[in-house]
Amino acid sequence: MSVFPECKKMKRTGFFPALLLGGLFSAMVPVLNMAFRSELYTGQGKPPVRILLDANWQMMAMLNILLVLVGTCILYHTEYENHAIGKMAALPIRRGRLFVDKFLLMAAACIVILALEAAAVGFCSFRWFPLPEGFHGLILELLQNFGYFLLLMMPAMLLSLFIASVCENMWISLGIGVICVFTATMLPSGNFAWSLFPYALLFQIPKSLPAHTAGKLLLAVPIEIGAIGIAGALFANIRRRFT
Amino acid sequence: MKFFTLVGVEFRKIRRSRIQILLFLGTVILWLPSVIHADMNFKMQAEGISPENNFFIQGFMGMAAFLFPASMVVCTVLLQQTERNHHGILKMLSLPVCPAKLCFAKFTVLLSLAAAQILMTVGMYGVSAGIASRTQDYNFLLPLSYVFKQAGSILLASIPMLTFFWLLSVWIRTPIFSIGFGLASIVPSVLMINTKVWFVYPMAYPFFVIVSEYGKLATRLSTAPIKWVPWLPVAAGITIICLLLSCFRFGQVERG
Amino acid sequence: MNIIESSHLTKTYGDFAAVSDIHLHIPGGKVYGFLGPNGAGKSTTMKMLLGLTKPTRGTFVIDGKKYPENRMEILGEVGSLIESPAFYGNLSGEENLEIVRRILGLPKSAVSEALEIVGMTPYRKRLAGKYSLGMKQRLGLASALIGRPPILILDEPTNGLDPVGIHEIRALIRSLPQQFGCTVLISSHLLSEMERMADSIGILNHGRLLFEGTLQELKQRAGAQGFPTENLEDSFLSLIEADNRQTGGMR
Repeated sequence: MSVFPECKKMKRTGFFPALLLGGLFSAMVPVLNMAFRSELYTGQGKPPVRILLDANWQMMAMLNILLVLVGTCILYHTEYENHAIGKMAALPIRRGRLFVDKFLLMAAACIVILALEAAAVGFCSFRWFPLPEGFHGLILELLQNFGYFLLLMMPAMLLSLFIASVCENMWISLGIGVICVFTATMLPSGNFAWSLFPYALLFQIPKSLPAHTAGKLLLAVPIEIGAIGIAGALFANIRRRFT
Repeated sequence: MKFFTLVGVEFRKIRRSRIQILLFLGTVILWLPSVIHADMNFKMQAEGISPENNFFIQGFMGMAAFLFPASMVVCTVLLQQTERNHHGILKMLSLPVCPAKLCFAKFTVLLSLAAAQILMTVGMYGVSAGIASRTQDYNFLLPLSYVFKQAGSILLASIPMLTFFWLLSVWIRTPIFSIGFGLASIVPSVLMINTKVWFVYPMAYPFFVIVSEYGKLATRLSTAPIKWVPWLPVAAGITIICLLLSCFRFGQVERG
Repeated sequence: MNIIESSHLTKTYGDFAAVSDIHLHIPGGKVYGFLGPNGAGKSTTMKMLLGLTKPTRGTFVIDGKKYPENRMEILGEVGSLIESPAFYGNLSGEENLEIVRRILGLPKSAVSEALEIVGMTPYRKRLAGKYSLGMKQRLGLASALIGRPPILILDEPTNGLDPVGIHEIRALIRSLPQQFGCTVLISSHLLSEMERMADSIGILNHGRLLFEGTLQELKQRAGAQGFPTENLEDSFLSLIEADNRQTGGMR
């Protein structure tokens, strides 16, 4: 299993603790919001998960996208810092494999982050709201929403990883990432085409979107994932033309 | 070595880093939506703000809320990585340079980059307001003295935030933590400015200043006014403490 | 039998020819020394053989396998140390080798064996980022030698080592063809070392292969051209000087 070397490479970089802490920080957002301002939300008459996501997801999504940005930059910074990427290039591994393995590692980390956030939203639903559809209904709703969020996170993850693989200097990949995140916040909402920008995707809440828009996203996002993923893996092959 | 000579040396180190391009790109993206949707400024009757004031304030709010603080985190990464890559810091520490002075010189470069980005924002505001004025047949340009005054206020208000980011980058050796803390600390600013204790959170300062100005310009909107006490003493305290701690710690790990 | 052969191998960067039309013939089971002044194109040639740089023109074959069709098989057979040692500074020496071991599918014992060969066993638990220059070089060597590959491509492997270390590594490299039957392509500036290590040499200047053959053949050619033949250094310098005069030092 070749993701194992990628996990090993992240030892003592703070990658895992930082993402875990970031996930916990993001998970605290709905908890603190409800702890201090529950009266604003409890009387709304909508499903509790929907209320909580509408109130908190923008901030949580922003934290998630920043975590993805920093995580992907560190994944490649470790390769470039002491030119270890040169060693990797001289070993019998498919050139795109490094990119794919790092993506898998990042995706696994994001699953953990989203799981923490889902748990927090679930806790808030349980603590402050009646559950008309019961515990199972709550779990299903959480799985639907956060599964969707995981899918929406992938294009940004792939694009950040691609940018980090191209830029040897971390501040450049970080800077481009920051500009992309900022661009996502500046794009007009309600426009489907703009909402496909990878960094803008994660801010969408599926149940708050019109049904046909959510459906279109479900079709468009895998295409984006494929396109960016292929570009990233291919770049590893053509990289040597520039050295 | 004279301080300003050291600052000059530090500027030379970031030549070819392309940081100016990154900072500039951000300001272009900041104002592009404002130009494209300039007509939206005529629909702000509910807030009671004039189109030209709204055009100005929305752009600067976007800058102060995220772009500017995040860009400054990126700049701290640039300044630190320039020394840590290829162990440049070891060379510097082996020269007759006071580490604290070197740290302060680097902070001065950070401050200059902050000023540069704000200046670029003002410049792009001028260009964007000019374009919007032509397309909408309405003068969106505010008096330059006012614009520079607001820009200056944001820069001054951001100093404690910059010292905090600098402190993080000096004290926390692991890049993911220093960058992660820095970026994550920007996000709660939008909440903090609505609390009574906003003044203990330096990342909220630039945004608070511009939101406060928004409150003055929008007759039907009320925002918290700036209370110089306790803000100024707390801000000064944060700045001094962060700078002192940074200068104390700088280069200590390499010196053993 | 030649284990590495190239045909018209060329690398240009715009107008600049880093490597120009070289035909290499590296015999199997021997130590082949790659000599040349700084910027002659030695590292570039080695990088092309490893697929780290795409040749502008030309082809090469390693152990009967063509690049790029058989890239994975070639890299599975070649251990390399190119330019400065490449490693993960946040991992220990042992952990760095463990990553290489896993990728190559070698047994667990390969790590300790490689560390032992280069004399790094006492330092295996130390973080690579904390290694001295010599230790980093040894770690780079260990990652090339791990699993005893049949072909070794080593770019200045004794860089940064002390005299004792240079002697050790020289003796090690010299013994590899006999002990493990492997072929070594090695570049070095230390001509005296090369004289003691190499069975045959190739001399590069301004991207062109000036000479290829055994040390005896070099002596004969140098003698025929009226160059000094007492030692490799004199012959080498004369050859380079003559080439520079002929070409005006230009590529």
